[in-house]
Order: sequence, then C-alpha cells, then structure tokens
Amino acid sequence: MAKATDKAIYFDSSLCTDCKGCQVACKCWNNLPSPIGVNENQNKATAENPYIGSYQNPPDLNSMTRLIMRCNEVETPDLQKGVGLVFSRRSCKHCTDAGCVRVCPPGALYHDEETGFVAVDQSKCIGCHYCATACPYDVPRFYGEKRFIEKCTGCVDRVQNGLKPACVTTCQPGALDFGQRSEMVKKALGRVEVLKARGYKDACAYGINEMDGLHVISVYKYGLDVHQEVKEPKLSAIVPLSEVAKPLSAVGIAAVVAALGISFINGRKYDIGDFRYDEVTGVQTKHGEFYEQFDPAEIKAGEEQEPVHEISRRFNGDKRKGGK
Amino acid sequence: MTTHWNDLKNTDVILHCGSNSVENHPVSARWLNKAHENGAKWIVVDPRYTRTAELADIYCRIRSGTDIAFYGGMINYILQHNMWQRDYVLNYTNATYLLEPEFEFDIENGLWSGYNETTGKYDTASWHYQTEEVIEASTTSGTFAWASEPGVPEFTPPAFTKPKTDPTLKDEMCVLNQMKKHYSRYDLETVSAITGADVETLELVYKEYGKTGKKNKKTGEYDKNGVILYALGQTQHSYGAQNIRCMGIIQLLLGNVGVPGGGVAALRGKPNVQGATDMCMMPTDMAGYLQWPNTTDKKSIRAWCESQTYSAGYYTNKPKFLVSFLKEFFGENAQLENDYGYDWLPKVPSGVDFTISSTFEQMAAGIIKGYFCWGMNPAHSTGNTKNCRDQLAQLDWLVDSEWHPTTTTEFWLAPDMNPKEINTTVYFLPAALIYEKPGTILNSGRWLQYRYQAVEPYDQSKTDFEMCDLLWKELVKLYEEEGGTNPDPILNTKWDYYVDGKIDPRPVSWAMNGYRPGSSDLENAKPDLCKNFTELKADGSTACAIWIYSGHYNNSEAPLDPSAQPIGSRIKDDPSGLGLYPKWAYAWPMNRRILYNRAASDINGKPWTASKKLNEWHEDTKAWDRVDVPDWAAGTVGAENGENPPDNKAFFMTWEQNGRLESYGMADGPLPEHFEPFESPTENILNGSQCNPMMRTDFWGNKNYERVTRDGDDFSSLSSNRGDAEEFPYVATTYSITEHWQTGSQTGSCPALTEAIPTQWLEISEELAKELGLTYGDKARVWNSRGDIIVDTLITKRMKPLTINGKTVHQVGLTHHFGFKGEYSFSYSDGSLGYEGNSGLTNDLTPNVGDPNTGIPEYKAFLVNIEKA
Repeated sequence: MAKATDKAIYFDSSLCTDCKGCQVACKCWNNLPSPIGVNENQNKATAENPYIGSYQNPPDLNSMTRLIMRCNEVETPDLQKGVGLVFSRRSCKHCTDAGCVRVCPPGALYHDEETGFVAVDQSKCIGCHYCATACPYDVPRFYGEKRFIEKCTGCVDRVQNGLKPACVTTCQPGALDFGQRSEMVKKALGRVEVLKARGYKDACAYGINEMDGLHVISVYKYGLDVHQEVKEPKLSAIVPLSEVAKPLSAVGIAAVVAALGISFINGRKYDIGDFRYDEVTGVQTKHGEFYEQFDPAEIKAGEEQEPVHEISRRFNGDKRKGGK
Repeated sequence: MTTHWNDLKNTDVILHCGSNSVENHPVSARWLNKAHENGAKWIVVDPRYTRTAELADIYCRIRSGTDIAFYGGMINYILQHNMWQRDYVLNYTNATYLLEPEFEFDIENGLWSGYNETTGKYDTASWHYQTEEVIEASTTSGTFAWASEPGVPEFTPPAFTKPKTDPTLKDEMCVLNQMKKHYSRYDLETVSAITGADVETLELVYKEYGKTGKKNKKTGEYDKNGVILYALGQTQHSYGAQNIRCMGIIQLLLGNVGVPGGGVAALRGKPNVQGATDMCMMPTDMAGYLQWPNTTDKKSIRAWCESQTYSAGYYTNKPKFLVSFLKEFFGENAQLENDYGYDWLPKVPSGVDFTISSTFEQMAAGIIKGYFCWGMNPAHSTGNTKNCRDQLAQLDWLVDSEWHPTTTTEFWLAPDMNPKEINTTVYFLPAALIYEKPGTILNSGRWLQYRYQAVEPYDQSKTDFEMCDLLWKELVKLYEEEGGTNPDPILNTKWDYYVDGKIDPRPVSWAMNGYRPGSSDLENAKPDLCKNFTELKADGSTACAIWIYSGHYNNSEAPLDPSAQPIGSRIKDDPSGLGLYPKWAYAWPMNRRILYNRAASDINGKPWTASKKLNEWHEDTKAWDRVDVPDWAAGTVGAENGENPPDNKAFFMTWEQNGRLESYGMADGPLPEHFEPFESPTENILNGSQCNPMMRTDFWGNKNYERVTRDGDDFSSLSSNRGDAEEFPYVATTYSITEHWQTGSQTGSCPALTEAIPTQWLEISEELAKELGLTYGDKARVWNSRGDIIVDTLITKRMKPLTINGKTVHQVGLTHHFGFKGEYSFSYSDGSLGYEGNSGLTNDLTPNVGDPNTGIPEYKAFLVNIEKA
C-alpha cells in the first residue's frame, strides 16, 4: 500500500469546469509544445478520424501532452437537468504497484521518495516502450520519432521546491488539490456523500485501493463508466516476464532498440527536452546551438516538417527584444 | 457589478441568465463553487446546456431572445404569490409612487403612452410621477450652498418635485399596482409557449429564486440573498437594456440589491471592458458616466448644469465633476470667464446615432472616410461582418493598432473581396501587449489595480500611450504651423503626462485621481492630490479627469510610486469574513465594495441578517457601525452635526433616492415588455408589435422598427436584410468558449489554446442532425440572407428542440473565434477543403440591428438555414 507519508493529487469532477487551465499549465511548466502548423490542430474529420464532436482536444495523450481533460455526455433521466456534461482528468495516476517502474530496464522510471509519484529520469530512458505495455491506464507515450518517454511526473521538481504541481496551482474552481494522500482520500469520501445527497447516485471515489493505491485520488460524479475510467486495473501479463528479463542487460536492450529505431526512421532527428539528437551522426546539440546553425534553405520542398522545430525556433532562436 | 467577484461566495441562490460565467469568466467558478458548497442553489437559464449548467442544480432551457418573457413571468409569480420583500420594497423603491394618470401600455399596437408619430420616438412625460409639491432649490444654504460661491459657473439648481405616494398601495396608479397589471399577462402558460420552457421547470425556478425575498420564520430575518449573473447573452438583443432592467426589478422586489451575496452582476469579459465603459465608451458619454455636450440640452455649460444636476441625492454634485474635468482637459486655459473651456468640447449632434453599426452606415454614405481602429477587430466582431468589409473598402484610409495584423487589418484578404478593386490605404501600428506596459486595470467588481511592465515591447511595437503621444504632438504641430478651421480646442488642451520627459501612465493617474492645480507642481512630479471626490469643487480649484476614480491614487507623498497608493495595495486582510478585502486594490467609488450598501440594513439601520452585516445604526450612541464604506448621505457621514440617522434613502444615485421599479429613463418603455427578436420563428403573442418598436434598424438614417414598418419600408433594402422563418427556419445564437477570447486575436496565437479548441463549430441537437442527415464529422453549411459559412458540427445531447406556440423549433449555437485570418488555425477558406470564398466568420450571419438604448447589435438571436456541406 501507499506509504503514510505519501502525497496525492486530488481531482473532483463535480467542481471542475473543464476550463483546461490544467492542460495548458502542464504544457507551460514542462515546456511541451503544441502543433503549430496551419490548421494542424484541427481534426480534419475524415472517415477514419471523425471530428469527435466534443470540447475535448487533443483526442488523447501524446508525446507533447501529458494531461488532457476528457469530455463526455450522458443522459440523466433521474435528475432535473436531464443531461450531463462529464469532465474527467486523464493523466498518469501514479500507482503504488506501478507496472511501468517494475519493467523499466534501466530504472528511468522510479518512485519519488517524498511523494510516491512515479517520476522519470529521461537521461536513463532507452526508449524500449516496455512501460507503455505495462501500464493499465495506457499513459506513457513515445509518439512517432520521439524516443523518450513522456508522461506526468507529478511535477516532482516543483514539489521538491515547496510548490504544488502546475495543474493544481492553476486550477481556479478548486477541482484540483494536492496534499497528504490520506487527507485527499478523506476529502474524496466526504465529497461522494455530498454528491449522492444531491442525487448523483453513482458518484464514487477512485484511486484509494486500485494498484495498491494511486497517487491521484478522483471523485467521479457520474460513476466510472461515464467517466471512461478503468474499472479493475490490473498489471499487464508482461510485467512478471519483463522482470525476469530485466537483469539481463539494460544496455543490450538499448542497443536493440536503437538499431530498430534507425531502421524505422532512418536519418531523422529527435527533439528531446532541451537537446536534439541526430541518430545518424550521433551528434547531440542544445536547442539554441542547433537553431543558430539551422538554415531554412536546407528544408527540401515538400518535406514534412516536425512542428517542434518550428516552435523552438520561434521562441529560442529569435533575436527579440525584451523577455527580461 | 453592484457587487464584486469574491462576494459571490455569500449568496444563497445563484441565477445565471444570459451568461456562462464558468466558461467565459473562469475565475468566477472559484467563488460560485464556494457558495454552492455552502448550500446555495444554482440555477442556469440558457438556450444551451453549458459548462455552467453542468455545475448547477437546476437547468431551464429557453428559446434565445425570450428573456423578458421569462423574467416577466417571474415578476408576475413573485407579485401573485406575495414573495416580494415588503419592508425593502415599500421603503427603498418607488413602489408606492403614483404615476401620471396617462401612463398606459397599448396591447393592441405594443406601444407605450407618449408615442410621437412625427419623431417615431417616445415623449416620456406620462411615465413620470405625479407631483406632490415643487420645492425650489436654495443657493444660500443647504445642498446647493456651494453653487453661489465665487468661481462656480452660473446656473439655476433644479427644483425638487416631490413625488406623490400612497404607502397603503390602494391607488391604482401606484408603481407596484401598474406592474401587477402589466405583468398579469405573463402567466406560466403564456411564458411557456413563448420561451419553450415547460411550466413545471419555470415554476421550480421562480419558486427557488423567489425564496430570496422571504423572511425566515424561525429567526425573523430576511436571511436569503440571490445574485443574478448576466453578460452578453442579455445585452446582445434588440431589447438588451430592458433585459437588464428586468433583473433590476426582480432584485429590488426581492431585496437583493446592496446586500452581501446579492446584486446585479454584470460580468465584463476583458478586464478593461469595465474600464472602457467608465471612460466613456458610449458616444454620448463623458468619463465617469457624465453626459457629453450635445446640441440641445447640453449646448452650454449652464444648460449642462441645469439639465444634468439632480435636485437631490449625490448627483446634486455633478457640476463639481464637470468643472474638475474641464480643468484637467484644458488646464490653465480653463477659466470661469471662458466657461472653463466648455465650448471647446465638440458637441455630439442630438438624436443622431454614433454607435458601431452606425459607423459602417456612415462609411457607406461617404461621411466617414478614414477610420482609426484601436484594440478592436470589427471586421470579425461586429454584427453583419460582410457589410463591415464592404464599408471598410469604401474608406480612403484605415489605421489599425494591434499586436499583429487581424481580420480588420487585412479585411481585403477575405475570400469574397477583390483587392484589385479596393483603394483603402491600411496603416498598421504594432502595439505592445498588456504585459509589455505598465498602467491601471479594472475588473468587473470595479477593483482598480496597478500592473507593472513584465517585458519590454517586442521589436518596434509601442504602448498605446506612446502612440497617442506621438499622434498628439504631430497634430499640435500641424495646427501650430498651418492653423486650420478650428485650432482652439487642440491648442488649448493640456497634455503634460510626462515623467523625465517620457510619456508615462503615472501622471495620468494623478489626473484621474484629481488634484489641486494651485498647489501642485506637475512638471516636477509634485501633485497635491485630492483624498477622494468629496474634495472636488466647481470653482476651478480642482482638476479631475474621471471623478469616480478619485481616491485610487491619492498619496501625494509618493506620487511616482504606485505601490504606495491605494491602487497598489495588496494586503489580504478580510476582517468581516465577507470577502470585502478592503485593502486589496481599490474599488471605485470610494473603495466601496458593495454598491447601495445602505440597503443591507432595514429602515431602522438594523442588518437584515446579522451574519451579513455591512452597516448598523446604534441608537444609543447615535452612530453607525460600518463594515463597508457607506454610500448614503453623500459619503459625508459624520459631518458637522454628527451622523445621519437611518432613513429610507437607500439609493442615493437617483434623485428620488429610491430604487426604480419603473423608470422613465429608457428609450423603449418604462417597464420591460416582451417582443420577438428582429428575426424570429414565431409571432409575438403578448402584444401587437412583432419587434421592439424602438429597435434600431437603420442607425444613421435614424429609423427604428416602428418607423420602418409604418412607412412601409422594405427591410431588404437595409444592410441588415431581414430573412423570414419560412426560408430560414432555425434559431441561431452565438457564443464564446473558455479556450478562446472573442475574435481570437490573442488566444488564437497561443498554440496550446488553439490546440485545446482548434475549430469553429455548429452546436446542434441529435434530433435536428438526424433531420438534416448530419452525422459526426460532417461539416455544415449555415446561411441566411446576410452570410454563408461552412463550419464543423458538434452534435450533442445538450441541445434539444423546443415547442414554441405549439410548433417545434430547433435552435443551434455557433462559436465565433475563427475566421479567414489566423496564426495557427482558420476557417476552411483556402480552398483545400473545397469551400472557396467562405469567410468563415460567424458574424457574417448576425444582423446589424440593435438596442435603442445602447446600439448593441442582436448577436444572440437570429435565423439561419442549415444543410450538409
């Protein structure tokens, strides 16, 4: 079970207004870009990829997005309003029994001592994608060319400096909170009673016992189904297998994965946090250095451009006044 | 707001009508959630089930544009069921006042008494009170003693016409009785037929809200208060101002004005919308809600003082604010001998409309040839943007000041425009954003705060005050060198807002606060600042640009340090526990947090609710215990003869000093009456006029709906080009979402926000989608007699058809944040999706007709047709 000293993020769907302040604050604090090609954000609504008809975007987590607000609709014939707009927070839930931590060969994923959050040391990540397979909530993302894992860390960097996670700090309606896990559990159970008394008969708390206790405690106003929550999360079968394989050699796996990577995406460059990595030359450059070298004329006509290039160039390479 | 954001937590019933504050004023949710957690009931009345509705307890769906029917039903319900707060209404409102015997509403033609066939407007004489006696004003003693002092411009203070009242309410001409009669037609069934809300829901809402007027039988206190939150969903109708009047009436009837957790909460979008309104956004306004000189009753300083000064209440002081304003405007050049420069101010021609819709009509007529567009984006935001583009193309020049080119700057790039045929020269002035400049900011709760510059302006962009300064210097130079037809107003204007030779907002703050020119040395940054507006005088010894802000920057010891001023104060103390935070920022007027707070106590000065005390009279000590800054007795409580004991004068900004249930101040009627929108799917069943007879349909031609229909004019000859329900069967309304701000000129340039909502859509019910053969992922063509756009569809359970006067009516919602211009996202106008020539601007569809009091266009209710694109 989660330690008595553990901390947790609290999410109350009944106070949430779906303003997406958390989604945006997460991007701001963690330097995560958004697509900025013209109309690239727009869901082009093809037959394979229909416009989802809700306030939710992006449709799911991706390598640039660690947190999204989900939006669903439900008919509520028992209530005066007759209809409900369902808000759910989708991000890492920071399991106590975290499959991702258990399978991670180089130990890039680990439990933060102070909080119990599942944090990431990206410098150790070898891009094996084991964690993605092991996660009962389908959270870790690599997305296309990006090799390193991208997922919520609970803003341990902020917490260690006495701040709350970025999403919690920005939340105006008071739907998010951060504190002692035991306190958050108590708060959630209290809220469920309030909501039930208001007629939300399926209201429930989530995360108290799941995966030996999550570090995100949620209050779901309309119950698990409507909030699109995993009912009985289980460790993936791969976890015990990988745990056997893990001591073999993290380095070996890294080599294999790197080789695979080259064959899949020959000659392409990655953006990793503040660094760029060219897989062919093996050259690693800092953003600033790279963009000073960057010559737009090098881009061949018709070649698809990585959006991350664009945003970094605009905000780092640009010689602008101000910003002091 | 008569109240402020934090005060929302004190309320017992929240009523959202015509606002979606959880989405469009996200921080409001913080305080609303607190109230809700404390047990408040939350009601949302809206055509769409919004994110605000999701947080509420009760949702009432109404047809867009039927708010007066909804409110009229509530007024009727409150009066019929005796839910009004008797002690409050009888003492603090004009309920017992007798109206002129001619006062009448003609149901047959939908007109009030006093309609003038020749002018097409109302003569409001019959909407006034019967007079008990006329008391001439004295200038030797009493209220107007200052008017005979040296230096004060000559004028005759108005006589007080004491209204006749009947406290027993037996006289049928009593305001309350006339209201009962007028609203008796708004029974539940009629209101249900008009609005589409079912009778049960209406009754539930009326009952819940009406409870705020009831006495708690156990404690004997009137302990429940309700707040009504409104925004553009109320104002953007051809009877928008009457919608707001409805709220005022209901809040007065239930004793909800002036009390904690009560009030009429006008939610302003951009923080400085409140500031802009204060600073004379309306063409006939002067700063601080005074009236700008005109060509009739305000053509001279004497005429202004005589027509504008009230016979009682705080507006007896108006000449002091005018003269102080003139002293700031013209400095030393303003002297008693030249009427303080009054005649240099341009006079707004009386009876002519200069609101935004009129502006484009004047371009069409060739009257306006050049246009300064500063911090707004009318080619995206005005009603009927197609018309706007066409008229901008008639201009010789257009100057646009923005932080990047917007729809307006590049209107000629619209897919339906031909740049070859447009000769308008466009000048673009790159402007600094809010974070790149220091200055004052004001929120909906009237809180003024000083903001410091975070970063230097980008590249060559300049702050607004720098641009103004450059423009000003250039203008003065031209007048000095070349003369011109009328150089005096320009050359006599005072312009000295510099610190160390650079234009600076701090001297502007001194001007707004007010100072004594005689003992000030502005050049050396030594102003002798006024404490607040009670120190302003009409004899030319004080200067003040906007009297209501006086007091926000009054520390003469540190005139260059905003943090040492009330406006810079950031102390989080809340001694009352009511969220007043008296030392956090500065609330105009006088740092008063809740307006009309005298009404928070009864006629004897005892708070209606002990736990919600804003003031209390102690008979033993003959003194008031004040929690908020008092607003009675002209703010001079504790004057020479001790404190003023409690009386019935709770609304000191009217000359009656009572709240107006009935008002003769409106252009379109003394009591709100339901009319259908300009474009409606149904007939008006409440009276003989389909639309508001005074609705502005032809702004520059100065014709209202009544005139146009009576003269037999064809609406299709107007640019608003009315469509009818046969051709365009669906009711449409426009709205904003959390993720974007209005025309998106700022939010549309933030990648994370454009990602959060990347597109414009048509919000449509599953029922109508099925009828039209639309399914998830389809695009829809939405068109009417003005415009034609392609948008995404958002098919939702949250929209439902309504039954209106026995027929099924569908309504749809349209967002308006994207268009043919956009940094990262724009409408499908590039032809790549096969929709060439589509501007993508929702406002191509909205009509440029508007409210007769404000000129605000009717964005919120119009007709469209829809098909699968």
